[in-house]
Amino acid sequence: MLRNTIILLFLPLISWGQKDTVQRISEVIVSEAIYIPKSTKSILTQKDIDELSANDVGELIQKISGANLKSYGSLGGLKTVSMRGLGTNHSSIVKDGFSILNSQTGQVNLGQIEVDNVVGIISSIGKRFKNSLPISAQVSGSNFLIKTFENTFTSDTLQVRANVKYASFNQQLAYLGVKYSPNRWLLSAFGRMRKSDGAYPYLLKNGSTFINSNRRNNAYQDYSFGATLGYRFKKGFWRLMYRNSSINQELPGAVIFYNATQDETLLTSKQSLSSDFQSFLRFLEYRFYADVNSGQLNYKDPTFLNSTGKIDAKYDNRSVTGGVTFSAKLNNNLILNGGVEEVISDLFSNDSTFAKPVRFHNFGLLGASYVLKKKLKIEVQVSSQYVQEKNNNGLSGKDRFRINPFISLETISKKKQRWKHQLWYRNSFRMPSFNELYYNNIGNNLLEPEDAHQFNYGLSVVPVQKKIEIYIRSNVYFNHVANKIVAIPTKNLFVWSMQNVGLVNIYGFEAILQVKWTLAKNWKLTSNANYSYQRTIDVTDANTPTYLHQIAYIPLHTVNFDFSVYYKTAGLRMSNYFVSKRYSLNENIVQNEIEGFLISDLSIFHTFKIAKKNQLKIQFSVKNIFNQQYAYIRNFVMPGRNYLLSLSYAFN
Amino acid sequence: MRLISWLSITAIMLILSSCKKDKPEQDVVSATLSNGMLVLCEGLFQQNNSTVSWVNLANSTVANNLFENRVGRQLGDTGNDIQRYGNKIYIVVNASSTIEVLDATTFQSIQQIDMVNGSVAKQPRSIVFNGSNAYVSCYDGFVDVIDTSTLLVTQRIQVGANPEGMAIANNKLYVANSGGLNFPNVDSTLSVIDLSTSTELAKIAIGKNPSSVITDLQGEIYVINRGDYAAVPSSISRIDTQNDVVISTLAINATHITSMNSNFIIANYDYNTSASNVLLFDPLNETVINPNFISTAGITTLYGVQYDSFRNKIYIMDAMSFTNTGYINLFNSTGSPIEKFHVGLNPNKIIFYD
Repeated sequence: MLRNTIILLFLPLISWGQKDTVQRISEVIVSEAIYIPKSTKSILTQKDIDELSANDVGELIQKISGANLKSYGSLGGLKTVSMRGLGTNHSSIVKDGFSILNSQTGQVNLGQIEVDNVVGIISSIGKRFKNSLPISAQVSGSNFLIKTFENTFTSDTLQVRANVKYASFNQQLAYLGVKYSPNRWLLSAFGRMRKSDGAYPYLLKNGSTFINSNRRNNAYQDYSFGATLGYRFKKGFWRLMYRNSSINQELPGAVIFYNATQDETLLTSKQSLSSDFQSFLRFLEYRFYADVNSGQLNYKDPTFLNSTGKIDAKYDNRSVTGGVTFSAKLNNNLILNGGVEEVISDLFSNDSTFAKPVRFHNFGLLGASYVLKKKLKIEVQVSSQYVQEKNNNGLSGKDRFRINPFISLETISKKKQRWKHQLWYRNSFRMPSFNELYYNNIGNNLLEPEDAHQFNYGLSVVPVQKKIEIYIRSNVYFNHVANKIVAIPTKNLFVWSMQNVGLVNIYGFEAILQVKWTLAKNWKLTSNANYSYQRTIDVTDANTPTYLHQIAYIPLHTVNFDFSVYYKTAGLRMSNYFVSKRYSLNENIVQNEIEGFLISDLSIFHTFKIAKKNQLKIQFSVKNIFNQQYAYIRNFVMPGRNYLLSLSYAFN
Repeated sequence: MRLISWLSITAIMLILSSCKKDKPEQDVVSATLSNGMLVLCEGLFQQNNSTVSWVNLANSTVANNLFENRVGRQLGDTGNDIQRYGNKIYIVVNASSTIEVLDATTFQSIQQIDMVNGSVAKQPRSIVFNGSNAYVSCYDGFVDVIDTSTLLVTQRIQVGANPEGMAIANNKLYVANSGGLNFPNVDSTLSVIDLSTSTELAKIAIGKNPSSVITDLQGEIYVINRGDYAAVPSSISRIDTQNDVVISTLAINATHITSMNSNFIIANYDYNTSASNVLLFDPLNETVINPNFISTAGITTLYGVQYDSFRNKIYIMDAMSFTNTGYINLFNSTGSPIEKFHVGLNPNKIIFYD
């Protein structure tokens, strides 16, 4: 029951919002966008993504400043991200222009978002990257935008991407994507599979002894396929996308001392159909978007000690989304933007005691952006959300209506003046998930939404732009989370309860340094480094032992330091990721400490031109080269040194 | 560029070196245990952080990592019960599915008993003793019989679903079948086992979700029925052990029960309101002697109560909302507070040493 509960609380069931973004995002990514001074945006380019040879989007997102990854394992392990100390549910993940939703857990499992077809990832915190993003994403605390190969328009008639990988622990991957663009049409399809036996060795400290064993019950297998049809107008486009994926995995759970009997499994499948139409007129841009998602989750524990001797729990989570966004340029100084969106989601379970919730979630947004004397850009937005809850098997959550503001002041750089200041405030909230509201006796239908207030001052500067290009960015911020939803475990294994009891203050600082240096002819060196400080403290009650203590699993310091050297079409990338010690519970005592770690990966790669427009790339990576034994989450051990060989082919 | 790289590397090294490695706690407890108490701290599921604290009652000091310091490895995940029998200490570790047997004087390990049945963890919950046997209730629906000299499981007696507390009266073992893992369709029976033949004689129907079982001086059995934490409140069933029938059901809300001489101390923690209450009950006359025997002001999460016959004192365990390290609150026999000790995570059982 508790294991089941934990799975349900934390294992997201993603409704694949597997669709598009806007053409211009790709242009920005492909170009030298990293040198545009924007104080609240981070970008991973196609080059970064290739060179990092990550297993999934989660491993990529941890390279973004301010993002804290919680990873419960390597391939297939649950991975969630929280941005700037706000909970996971405050971040929205947008893939190709559509929000990935999961109303059951409210969290997206980044470990299930494949990386082979991803051509760019952008994170935005304050000001949103595009006015055409789904309104639900524009009003959330922060965004991660993912863009894929299949769903972007191209000027080439035919493009092909193929990739095979073989890695330690018998990990195998194959991917093929084909994009055909006759005239103004886009026709693309992809298929992909991967598997791994997951039995990686680990060393775990147990008092003054060590457990030297292999990860058990950790096999993983998935496949996905999809197709896209698109049409480009003179000033706009239309797309229709279908996607299907299925995952069959064993759940290793935490390493429990002296007990190696874990045998739970999880089957996940998802289907989605989505479509959008976008028009770019001279003074008006607008976008209509709609999608239908269905996800099934089947958790099995074949040896559970109840009367039937097993758990076979099935959950179906569906959602329908429709929305429109617009952006109108009234004059050279004033732009209005806004939109509305409606999301209807529900959940069914084969457990007769479980709730049958339906949620109607309406979003509205109206904003204005005004340029004052060509020096200062002022943006104001007001969003509204109306949420209706209906539970067809028990008590319903309350209906809610909220209004949330966003305000931003940003200096405008002149050509020679490469300094930029930005000041903004965002107020947002996240809804309690269906599990938090209704999951048997854990759920609490009286829960209020969890509120977040973010204040940010950012400075970015591009000091030199000759042979050596440097870009420096820094932010200081203060966030406050109120009505934080906290699970309160109780005496026996059956009674947990969700309560709005938490107050959290977050004092943050981040610095980002990007350098690009042309050393000599054919030689180039780039470096990306970021440092993030997050003092995330519990300020709920001065009479509790955790008052002013760092919140569990949020590190005080996070450092990314990557550098790459290129010679012609060959290169090398060293990637380093450091997080300082964390606590497994909110009480900051030695017993709850989890050691910090520094993980270094090394990749070497070479691209061959085998014929005109035909490229072959071979890449070899050593991950965790110093064979660190580490864990993000207590007792969820991560793999030591491991190897990956990748061969990829591209036409156009 | 080189400067930048070096600066970054230096920054990383600085941060790395600034994270202190936790030093193992020194074993400051005397080699032979006396004049104190062993406190089992359950920890939290999946954290492998169950511990044993030693409270020195001579100087009121606490050592929070006695098991690891003496045995060299950790206790494991979710320690549910600790008992002394003869000169051995038995610790029942539920999620790790082990029973740790230690020397009661030196607290050195004698044996770790693996409680796994094929590929299924038995998940032991509590332990009682009779003659040369230990009886361990296991969540897989059995009571395991362990020979206390060989420390081998000699027999498995099938009972109801997810057995919890046990007590012995009239040469019979009474086992509360909670059925907790079938929640909300919990069990509501008490298995009666003949200790001579090790066979189940009967299942007595009692209240919903039974947990703790205790016997009074006249050989009657009392069982806490936890109810469903909602519409069905907790209650106490009283059993006649001659005829194995329910004599009465007492409408007393209870989560914990313990003996104090001929009386019972009955404590209740309300999960919904976090309120708690401790009363003094006379089981020989079935009367409440004092409905507010001990003031629970200052106790956040009442998690257990025990009586120390060596010192004539009462100890209340506070689990501090279950995610913070707990306290043992010490009271005199009339219920007045004396002092409190800061122990490990979720303290749930105490063994007293004179």
